[in-house]
Amino acid sequence: MNTDQLIDALAREVTPVPRHAVGRRLAIGLAAGGVITLALIAWLLGFNPQLGAAIRHYSFWMKWGYTVSLGICAALATARLARPDSGRFGWLWLMAIPVLSLVAIGLFEMSRVPPAQWLAMWLGQSWSVCSSIVFLLSVPIFGGLLWSFRRLAPTRLRAAGGTAGLTAGSWGATLYCLHCPEVSAIFVLTWYTLGIGLAALAGAILGPRLLRW
Amino acid sequence: MQANEAQLKAWMIGGLDGDAASQAQLLRALVPVLEAFYRRRMRDRRDDIDDLVQETLIAVHTRRATFDRERAFGGWLFAIARYKMVDHFRRCGRTCPIEGLDDILVAEGFEEASSARIDIDRLLDALPAKQSQAIRATRLDGLSTHEAAARERMGESDVKVSVHRGLKALAARIRGEL
Repeated sequence: MNTDQLIDALAREVTPVPRHAVGRRLAIGLAAGGVITLALIAWLLGFNPQLGAAIRHYSFWMKWGYTVSLGICAALATARLARPDSGRFGWLWLMAIPVLSLVAIGLFEMSRVPPAQWLAMWLGQSWSVCSSIVFLLSVPIFGGLLWSFRRLAPTRLRAAGGTAGLTAGSWGATLYCLHCPEVSAIFVLTWYTLGIGLAALAGAILGPRLLRW
Repeated sequence: MQANEAQLKAWMIGGLDGDAASQAQLLRALVPVLEAFYRRRMRDRRDDIDDLVQETLIAVHTRRATFDRERAFGGWLFAIARYKMVDHFRRCGRTCPIEGLDDILVAEGFEEASSARIDIDRLLDALPAKQSQAIRATRLDGLSTHEAAARERMGESDVKVSVHRGLKALAARIRGEL
């Protein structure tokens, strides 16, 4: 096919593109994946029976504050990396704020209980499964984001895969809070972060293969 | 023919708003731009260059939603073109010899030169109009003081003084930025 024919064929279908098309497409992928994750939680894990009471407790909002702020930062970074000219990422250091805040809360909580209880606080009742569940719950969201990326144009594929994984992990963890009964900050800091980090790592490893265009 | 940034961007935005004629004009104008871009980097591969140009045009069209209207069109376009070229090299794997390394280095230098050009424009814009015109005429366009005075309709001594003051202000500004 010569170039002129190609151009004629391409210019035959020119649909208007709304201004925030990139953000919208990512949001749709994220939400679609989130719905599947939510369904998986309802079906396989069940929501926390004491959720109504838990919502009134600060530890629930501590967990959400942590995962949601990570999720927002990661989603913004993903939206930038979805464009070919992605620009700078100095502001990503902002993600240190939720992590350091959680460290501070964790130290504060530890100072209020006798050291004999620290191990129990750290391991909770579900440390052995928490990270893997967070990781697995991130998979549908990552899949949703992959769908979004099919019309986007990342040029730094490893970074884009990594931030997509981080986004999926953070939002997967956010939804997992609806099931997880754990309350201590050091538990969240360790096991949630581990699951979210694994999701980011998997995204960075798969990015160059899955995001090519 | 090389269309300029403003014109290309106007066509691009026209296409984003759903104007098929703008989109066709944009794609047509991009053919020589992309050919020059790839030829400067990959010597003697006419077929490859044609393929790459077509692939890039398809990408520019199907992924146009990723263009941010607030940002430069050139940056967006060349980021796509560079990605397509790297992807092309990666696909060929090791069977592609690195030909014309000198050319590639020169070409990268060209890119630096054009971003330096953007920096200069940004700096000059911060000066009073008269000083920036005088500097542009004598130092960038290479006119003599006499020619510059005629073109900008200024006195010759006015040109000299403007250049002097402007350069001094620029030097102070750059020192301040560092």
